[in-house]
Amino acid sequence: MADLKILAVDDSPTMRRIIINTLKRAGYSDVTEASDGKDALAKLKVDQFNFVITDWNMPEMDGLQFVTTLRATAEYKDMPVLMVTTRSVKDDIVEAMKAGVNNYIVKPFTPDTLKEKIEQVLAS
Amino acid sequence: MPGTNTLQSNIQKEIVELSTAIGGLVNSFKRLQNPLEESRNKVPQATDQLDKINEQTEAAAHQMLDMIEQITAREEEILEQIDQTRACLESGDNDKILSCLRIIAEKAQTNLNDSFLIMDALQFQDITSQQMNHAASLLEDIEHKLHTIIGVFDSNDGDSEDEKESNARTAKAGKVRAFDPHADLFEKKTNQNDIDSLFDNNGK
Repeated sequence: MADLKILAVDDSPTMRRIIINTLKRAGYSDVTEASDGKDALAKLKVDQFNFVITDWNMPEMDGLQFVTTLRATAEYKDMPVLMVTTRSVKDDIVEAMKAGVNNYIVKPFTPDTLKEKIEQVLAS
Repeated sequence: MPGTNTLQSNIQKEIVELSTAIGGLVNSFKRLQNPLEESRNKVPQATDQLDKINEQTEAAAHQMLDMIEQITAREEEILEQIDQTRACLESGDNDKILSCLRIIAEKAQTNLNDSFLIMDALQFQDITSQQMNHAASLLEDIEHKLHTIIGVFDSNDGDSEDEKESNARTAKAGKVRAFDPHADLFEKKTNQNDIDSLFDNNGK
């Protein structure tokens, strides 16, 4: 748990603060934030991460494009990705699965759900 | 009779012009029908979305205020326990001191938990922000339809200055506006158990 380096991607600064605080409380203190997919790809180039939490609806590059890009890049094709989004329509969830997300949480989420899904993704 | 022929010819010409004008008017009304219908549908959608924002921000604010009131009440009880502990320190009643410290620790822990619940409740900001972006996008669509309607009656060819300005504004906003039209604080179209089942069954 201690050496998990997480990249949290969300266009809402409020949401990023909530996610970072929730992660810290769950024991994950090494968290870097990015404001959209493009920013996240730039951060991935300069730093090593072993877990990504991403939103879907973001300007510039949305979460789906971001995950698709990750899966198409040899270096990140196995990167564990948890999508945290407001999108709760079944077809959207299936689309995210096809793009390559490892698990999916609909906002608003509880700290327990976030912790549980991170653990599930890491265990799989 | 040449006079009658001229009159007949003039009347005929007027009737043809009138007929062309009526034809043009009918076409204009046909062009109006689509934007009017779309505007009529989008106005209630935008209104519903704004009502939802109002309702959900109020509910979230109440949820947070409830927790803040409970935290404040507990803080007052903690201060009371600290006063009692001070008094017990002077009298040397160790059992009472330990009891006060236990109560203080319990209340402080509950306050810590409630502070995190307030943080969770603040997720409403992201959700209502997406709802507002959706409402703004609907209003922009209505603005475009209104420009289309105005364009039908406008004799000038091409986009008016207002329309150009509106298009530029929308294009600029569109670059930063990302939203889920179904974002909702209380209603999820698919619950977490069903999402988990989808992942267990590879999307089937």
